[in-house]
Parts: sequence; C-alpha cells; structure tokens
Amino acid sequence: MDAKDLNVVNKPVIKMDALGLACGEPAFTDDVEFKGLLCGKILWSPHAHARIKKIDVSAALKVPGVKAVLTCKDLPRVPHTTAGQGYPEPSPYDTYTLDNKVRFVGDRVAAVAAETPEAAHEALLKIKVDYEVLPAVFDTFEAMKDGAPVIHDEEDSKNIPDAKHNIAARFDFEVKNGEWFKEADHVFEHSWKIPYLQHCAIEPHVTIAHFDNSGRLVLRTSTQVPFHVRRIVAQALKIPVKKIRVVKPRIGGGFGSKQEVLEDIVAALALKTKRPVKLEYTRKETFVSSRTRHPATCRLKAGVKKDGTITDAEMEITLNTGAYGSHALTVMMCSGSHTIPMYRVKNNIRFIGRSVYTNMPVAGAYRGYGATQGFFAWECLMDMMAAKIGMDPVEFRKMNYIKLGEGSPVFKAMGEGREGVEQVITSTGLFEAIRKGTEEIKWAEKRAKYAAQSGPIRRGVGAACMMQGSGIPEVDMASATMKMNEDGSFNLLVGAADLGTGSDTILAQIAAEVLGIKTDDIIVTSSDTDITPFDVGAYASSTTFISGGAVKKTAEKVREMILEVGAKILDQKKEELRLEGGKVVAKDGASCSLSEVANTSLYYYNQHQITASASHFAHTSPPPFQANFAEVEVDMETGVVKILDYVSCVDCGTAINPQLAEGQNDGAVLNGISHTLSEEMEFSTNGTPLNASFRRYKIFSAADTPPLRTFLIPTWEPAGPFGAKSVSEIGINGPLPAVANAIYNACGIRLFDAPFTPDKVLAALKKRG
Amino acid sequence: MKNIKYYACPSKVKEALSLLLNKRYKAMALAGGTLVSKTLPDSVETYLDLKNLPIKDIRLQGGNLVIGAGATFDEIDRSRLCRTWAGGSIAAAAAACSTQLIRNMATIGGNIARPHSFNIFPVVLLALDAKVRLQTGKGAKLIDFQDLYTSGLGLRPGLDSLITEAIIPAKTRNWKCEFIKLARTASSWESYITLFFSAEKKGKSVTQARAAVGALSPRPFRAPEAEKAMLSGEGAAAAAAFAAELEAARAGEYRCAAASNLLKRFMEGKI
Amino acid sequence: MKNSLLAADKGFFGISAAVNGEKKELSVRNAESLLDALRRHGWKGAKKGCDTGDCGSCAVLLNGKPVLGCLVPAVAAHGGEITTIEGLGSVHNPHPLQQAFVEAGAVQCGFCIPGMILSSKYLLDRIPDPTEAEIRKALDGNLCRCTGYVKQVEAVKNAAKRLKSRG
Repeated sequence: MDAKDLNVVNKPVIKMDALGLACGEPAFTDDVEFKGLLCGKILWSPHAHARIKKIDVSAALKVPGVKAVLTCKDLPRVPHTTAGQGYPEPSPYDTYTLDNKVRFVGDRVAAVAAETPEAAHEALLKIKVDYEVLPAVFDTFEAMKDGAPVIHDEEDSKNIPDAKHNIAARFDFEVKNGEWFKEADHVFEHSWKIPYLQHCAIEPHVTIAHFDNSGRLVLRTSTQVPFHVRRIVAQALKIPVKKIRVVKPRIGGGFGSKQEVLEDIVAALALKTKRPVKLEYTRKETFVSSRTRHPATCRLKAGVKKDGTITDAEMEITLNTGAYGSHALTVMMCSGSHTIPMYRVKNNIRFIGRSVYTNMPVAGAYRGYGATQGFFAWECLMDMMAAKIGMDPVEFRKMNYIKLGEGSPVFKAMGEGREGVEQVITSTGLFEAIRKGTEEIKWAEKRAKYAAQSGPIRRGVGAACMMQGSGIPEVDMASATMKMNEDGSFNLLVGAADLGTGSDTILAQIAAEVLGIKTDDIIVTSSDTDITPFDVGAYASSTTFISGGAVKKTAEKVREMILEVGAKILDQKKEELRLEGGKVVAKDGASCSLSEVANTSLYYYNQHQITASASHFAHTSPPPFQANFAEVEVDMETGVVKILDYVSCVDCGTAINPQLAEGQNDGAVLNGISHTLSEEMEFSTNGTPLNASFRRYKIFSAADTPPLRTFLIPTWEPAGPFGAKSVSEIGINGPLPAVANAIYNACGIRLFDAPFTPDKVLAALKKRG
Repeated sequence: MKNIKYYACPSKVKEALSLLLNKRYKAMALAGGTLVSKTLPDSVETYLDLKNLPIKDIRLQGGNLVIGAGATFDEIDRSRLCRTWAGGSIAAAAAACSTQLIRNMATIGGNIARPHSFNIFPVVLLALDAKVRLQTGKGAKLIDFQDLYTSGLGLRPGLDSLITEAIIPAKTRNWKCEFIKLARTASSWESYITLFFSAEKKGKSVTQARAAVGALSPRPFRAPEAEKAMLSGEGAAAAAAFAAELEAARAGEYRCAAASNLLKRFMEGKI
Repeated sequence: MKNSLLAADKGFFGISAAVNGEKKELSVRNAESLLDALRRHGWKGAKKGCDTGDCGSCAVLLNGKPVLGCLVPAVAAHGGEITTIEGLGSVHNPHPLQQAFVEAGAVQCGFCIPGMILSSKYLLDRIPDPTEAEIRKALDGNLCRCTGYVKQVEAVKNAAKRLKSRG
C-alpha cells in the first residue's frame, strides 16, 4: 500500500472539535457547573527544605465556610510516583500526597476546601506551621557530594538508587571496541546547559472531584493520562480502582506537564468533605508546583577522523530532577537513546547518566523528553567537528547519520526502565529532508555569502538533524472500541487522550479509511475510564503510532463483521466484497448501504451489535526524522539575535492529517525557539522562584515569532498505521542547536548555555575579541 | 478591590476631581486599570473610573503636540500626529508597550502617574522636554515632566489630582529621535533598558541633544555628559561618556555596552 | 453627584450591561473581574489562563474593543456593551472568523482561540485588509503554546478575504 491509495488518511480533514472550541462551547474541565462546588487550595512551602515539626489547623477550621483542612496526619502514607507511566513505573516511589517534610519552595504542606475562594485563602493564612528549616542544596553536582543535605532521608521510599548522594536515577552503558580515541584525529569535549523551563500550557492544571449518584468518585481533570490517574490516585489514597472514574474533557494543552498525576490531593478533599471540590492551579502554581523540563548539563566528548568518521563518543548527562524523582530515569534514558543512535560511531560509545535530587521544583515529562537536552549538545558538537575537519556541516551529517536498515546497540541497551528492543531503521526521509531544507534555506548560497561579513549586523545559517521515537516499544499499549449505528455511523471509543493535538480526528481518519467512509460518520469519545477502553495516554509520541494501530485493528474487525452481514444481504461470498463510499460493494457492482447492514444486524437477521475492540502494542519504536535550518541575524553591538527564517523538514511517515501534522510541528518548533531565545525560570539563592508568571517568563507571541516553515517529507513506515510515525515531539529539539550553529556561522561564537540572551551573546563576542 | 463600596464613572473632570477630593469616598482614580486593578490598596472605597472623561484627544495646540492623558497606547500608536512627530518615535514607543490587549486599555496618563521601571512613556517625555497638565483642587497646574516624580510636587496624581494632558513642545516636532527597547521579547513589560535619543540639527551642527534612559530605575534619567558630547557631533565620544554614566548608574556591563553602542549608531546613522 | 455613583450592597454591585446584544442586569462582586463575573453567569467562552493580564485567553470585546477580562473589574462594565466569543457566532451559525480558524487548522487545544478570534475581529473592523505584520501585532497579546501562530495568521488572512468579498 502507498499513500496514493488513501482516501481519508493523509488528507487535511477538519479537526472535529475545532468549531465548538472556536465558538467557545463549554468544553474544558472548568466550563461546567457543579452545585455546591467547593474551592480547593493548597498551602505551599515557603522553604526549600524543612521538616514540619508541628502544624496547627484549628484556627483555619474556624474560618466560616471552611469545610476541610488536610495535613499529612489525615492521609495514608503511601510512597508513590506522580509520573503517569505504565505500571510498574520505573520511577522512584518517593512522593506522598502530604508529608511531614517539604523539599522545595512550592511543595505541598496542607490543603483546604471551602465554600468560597476567599474563605479558602483565609484558611491558608491561618494554618500555623512550625518548620525546622534544613540545609538545602540547589546544584546537582553539589547534591551528589558526600555530606550534602539528603533530600530523601525517609525510610519508606522505594527504588532510589542512592538516596545518600541524592541520586534519583543512574545508568551507565558502554560499547567498547578498542582503545578510546585511538583512531581520532581530533578530540572534542564540551558541556552544554539547559535551565529550568516550563510547559506553559495556556490552560492551568485543573481538576473537579465530584461524586456520581452511587457515591463513586469522579475526577474531571485536565490530564494526558486518565487511566494512570485512576490507578495512581487509587494507590495513593488506598481506595479501589473501581471506586474512581476519570473523565478527560477537552484539554487546554499539556506538553507533558499533564502526564503528571497531581489529582490525589483534590480527590482527598472531596472524599473528606463528601462535596464536589475544584482545584485550579494559578499560573504561578503551574510554574512552580506542577512540573518543568529537567535542567541539564550535558558533557560530550567525541573523536573524529579527518575523513569525517566519528570514532568515539562519550555522553555524560546530569539532570536536575528537583525534589522528587518523577520522570528522573526515563528522561535521562531518552536523552541518550534518542540521540546516540543518530550517527554512526565506529569504535567506542559510553553513556553516563545521572538524575539528581535538589531542593528545586520537580522536573517531569516535557515534549522532547531528554532528546531536547541531548540534541542541543550533539548537534552543536557535530558542527564543531565538521568545522575542524573542514567539511560542510550538512555533508558531515549526511555521511554519518543512521541509514535505512541500520541499527544501534543503544536501542537494545537503553530502554525506559527495562531493556530496550533491537530495531533497525525501517523508514527514513532524512536524506530528502536535508535536500529540501538546504534548498528552501538556500544553504550553499548563504554559507558562501555569509563567509565574509563586516559591520555590526551579521547573518548566518545553521542546521540540525534529529530523531525521536514512536511510543515505548513493548511498554505502551492502547485499545479502541467501535460500534455501529443504524445510519451507518460509528462510535469510536478511545482511551487515547486528545489534549489539543487532534488525535480524535486522526484516529477517526484511520477508522474511516479502513471502513471506506467519511470521518463525519465517526463519533469519537475520548476519554473516560468508565466508557473508553484502556490506553496508556498521550505521551512518548505514541498516540498516532500505538493508539492508531489499535484503531486500525478495531476497524478491521468491524469491517469483517460488516462484510459478513453484507454477504447475507447481497447473497455473495464475503471474500468478493469490499467497503467503499459508505457501501458494501461486490465485484459485480451490486451493493448495499452501511445503514442497511446496520439495520439488518440490529433488527432483522441474526440480530447482533456490530462492535469490536482491539489492542495494540509495538515491538519497535520507529523514529521520525527531521532536518532543521535556521537563518539568523546577530547584532554585534547589542547581542540581539533575530531569527529571519526557520525551515523544518519532517519525516513522520505518512502524515495521517497533513494540516494537523504541520500544526504539531509548527508548535513544537516555536516552543523550541522560545526556549532558545527567551525562556528560563529564575530563582533566588534560597530557591524561591522569581519569574513564575507569563509577564516575566516570556514565551513567544505572534509578533515575536519568526517565519516558520514546516515541510512534510512523506515516507512509509511499515510498522505504523497506514505508514505513519510520530510527529508531536521531535520538532522541539531542533531550534537550540540550529540557532546556535547559525550564530556561529554569523559571527564565530559558540554558545553553550541556553537561552541565548543578548547579554550572553555580547559577552561571548567580547571574550572572542 | 474587596473594600470597594462605590463605583463612579463621571464625564467631567471637575466632577471626578470633586469626588476624589471628598474624603468621605476614599476614592482612587483608575484609567486603563491594567496596572492597578489587581493591586488596589484596601483603604480605597471608591473606584473612580476615568474612562468617560473628555481627556483623550491627541491634537495640535499652539504648535505643541497635546496628548490627552486618557489616550490609550493603541490610540497613540495609531495617531497620525504621533506617527509623524519626531520621526514617529512617540508612536513607536506606544507600539513597543507590552501587548495589543494592554495597549487597548492602558493610557499614557496611567503610564506616567507613578514611577515604575517598566513604564514606557516617562523616558519618552523626559527626552522631549514634555510638560504635564494636572487638575488639582486649586485649579490646573502645568509642570515640567521631569518634576512629576519629585517630592516638591506635593501632589499624588490619581488620589488628590488628575493628570489631564502631556504636552510635547513644538520645537521637538522635527527632531531626530529614536526610541529603543531592549528586552527579552518584543512584548516584554520589563526591559533590560529603554532608551530615547533625540537631537536637533541645524545645518551641520547639533543644537539640542537628549539621551534618556529608562527601565533601570523607577525614574528615568538623562545622561548629561553624553548629551554634551552629542552636541559636538562626536558619536564615539558620546558613546564613551554614555557608557561611563550608565556604569555610574549601576547599569552593569551588558547595558553599558549595548546602550552606548546604540547611541553611537544613532549619532552615526540619524545625525 | 451622588446620582452618578453606583453603590455596592453587601459587597455586590448591580450593573446593567448588554451582553452579546442582550440587555442584562447582573449582580457582580465588588472585587471580581469581568472574566470571573462572566464565567459565573454562564458565559464560559472567555478562559482563565493566567489571571494577570498576560495571556489574553480572557479577552472579550468591551464597547467593541478587545480587553483583558481578568484585569477589568466587573463593575467597570456597567453601562457597557460586552461581546464574548459566544456572541460572535455559534456552531450553528459561525462567524466567518470562526469558520476561517477552523478551516485553516488554527485550532489545536482551543483554549486561546476565543480571545484570539476577538482580537482578530477588532483588527478586521479597523483594517479590513491587514498585512502579516499587522495581524501579528494585533494578536501579540493572545499567547498560544500549541500552534506556532502559523495557521492562525493564515486564518485571519483568509477571513479578511472572505469578509471583504462579502462586503
């Protein structure tokens, strides 16, 4: 099969929820009314590290309208992880719904539910906490030293590799084929740094916990992982899974932050008060107390021969996981497993990974998931190596990138919490992506033109290539259910969590393609743990590949059932029939409509509901590939860097919906650009966040945004539904290195420390002289 | 806002002022409200909304450019007069303020009523020798903008008086001017530094020069040594003097370097 | 003098305003923002993304001009005309801008879209044929983390064409 044969897939079908959203229909978590809804609020720690000696809530309870005040004494003490991952999660169990210790400024201390926000706020002010302030540590390298404050000194946490040295996760791996750097003509060693970054989904984290009419707890929540929410809340509060229903309405963006299960506390407030409770994070709380990207120091040491062969590579990444382990291990693994296989390394490979606790906000999943940190280093180093041996950086990449049919020892060695899988590349459009990108950015012409420049304004072009995965092989699983209605329409029930990505639409397209109908004839429901079948959720670039696979299988089963009935109606052999244009069509041209099939099955003959469910998991995680190109202008006198053009060429296999795929990539790229030139969370020396607002943590606006040009490079991935691979994350990894390389091309300075603010640029120019 | 008992939205300045001066009401005046609506002091009981006051015009009067205090950034940005006066630098400054949604609401009066480092217009008015008209209990008062934030003024606009106009003198109409905001992003409220350079050129000589600096402190300031050097037409000397003055103001290495480079560029490019 | 004063009763003001073309008498808290008041009274189209005037997802038209619903005190809408996204069009009868956003693929999570469409409305009311730079400037107060603004700018261009041909 090939994309030319497709009728619905690979077409820009209108996103099915778009019109309602554009008209302001009440679609989001907080857009519905609940009678008697209480307001939940959390008391956050003002200290980076302290033990709660005493906590007195009596005055808070007396505030009129206050219905509950919870402290750690009121809740079961269950070590768990907030990382919404498959069970058993590979993350440390180091988190408690409420604890007698606080580990960062913004950690939970107590929770309140009250009739009004004002009463809840007043109650927070009246909780008296007696803290024993402990020495705190904010730097990962300090935290690993002997004698550093131990952040997780509790006895009952589990799966922390070295709590004494604040190590939340570690992994070392080596491929050794001879003496290190023996063959190298040049050896490079540098470190690259990424600061604290936040997802900035425009909808803050919000949950309404209420009860159904049999008293079961219902969590209506802005989550990417409804089934993990159900499981982890049940675990943390020691209630049965069957007592919880999780409903995911429309979600106002997630980018990984909503892969985190923070719903336990509002569930506890509802259970305590027996009333519906809403907990909506403020923007500040979202910045500080939800999750962030892992700040990282990535040291790369690599050797290259004059002919362009990469001989050896050693990657050491140190991630700051903040106060809790969350995604400490898995992000660290992906920083290597998504990057090291990108280029062939002839002799020796070493990966040294550490995720380290500090008394800082908690890092979690964030679009790119380690690959962002890794590729910043890798793709800058690729440019440095190319420059040294006098090769064009694009040609150097073309010579070394992983080709069709090739594998890497890293795929098997570095999984996510368990061993990975062996795999070879079964589709790649990287060659074409590079060709298209160099043409669009006018690479050769501009490299030549910008080689000799003078004056205060300099221009440059830079490139970066990258890959990601498509789901976690042999870990991620998704399922779907379809049922047929009288008019030949279908309900498609999926656990996959559309968080604004358009996954409902592309899953419907996949089903429609199989059934020979239009997407309009599919009604999608996502996601409700009472109604939709299991899906791990929207993360790890898995939805198109894994959930899409489940939907395709489901639709194929349904197709068989339809054909059975059609065969009876048309009195033909099933094998002679196909589905086309909303009909069962026979080879001789006879046909019957799907509504006739549905009515026959429901009312007339051998009555049954045409319905099926199927599950899907994968043995491989085929990487999407990208080539990115940036053209920048550097003002040598002010240090201001302006991006003039950004070209992103994307191999995501078959784009199920090209319009939505482009949108995914545009958004990922802009997020990366915003990381590159603006974003960083700032802290005082005692760990207090200083810019936890959109006013002071600047994400790019429409006016800030340079021209972004996404080009889809079609390939066909045999393991994916209709040839598809993932698309959502990869684009965020390009801008940091592509822009850094373009700055070098413009003015000869190397920047190792994101973001590239004008002061850093000017300082680097001065240092260079 | 939680202690607000009254809301008033008068259409006459006199009416607004009498309410403001009536101690019984404990009133505070708000124009666009973008800055104050979330941080109104608890002592305030009357929210005096200035939006209906007839103080929004942008006009020529006696050769001067008069900008009503109630003019929004958006209106200033779109005003033909502001787009041509002093090379369009006033409109450019208005456009550089935060975001369109803020520019739709925030007014020049609100922007200059209190000294804040993130305000945009103080540096502009300072560099253009602007005057400000206030209505007080004792009638109208015309003051130099540079005296607005001095303790000698004895007035607290918005609490005991109202700013009604900013007056930009006729002489500046054809001055060469440039407003520059160096900030993390175009829509940042807070800037690393804001600069307003202005110069009058007659024949080959520079007859007037201003180098004003904002964002470093709540009150903008002029750099007199740099201005002296500008009068001599020496870009490099002006830049050096400017860098020294910025350093004295603890601007830090980056701001000193970037701002002095920009002054040099202004002198070499525009003058 | 006293007659022009609106007085609060037990912390609530009674205001009259036209919301989406309909005259309404609304009871609003003295300390609440227009955003909170609108949402409390059932208009959920304006969203709360930051509550500090920085993201624009709360934008509504007040007397024709987009303002930040979270920064406007509800009482200040007294006597005004408010248009929320619900007043612009509905799923049964969408405004050309809403249609254009949908068709261009400009709606991803959709949380910022109501505000962005209202900002676009004001732009096209003033400038029927805007340049790309004018569109970007007009939308610079409506933060979006999903789209990169590419398809939204395209949507506004398309809507401008459509509205123009409609006259």
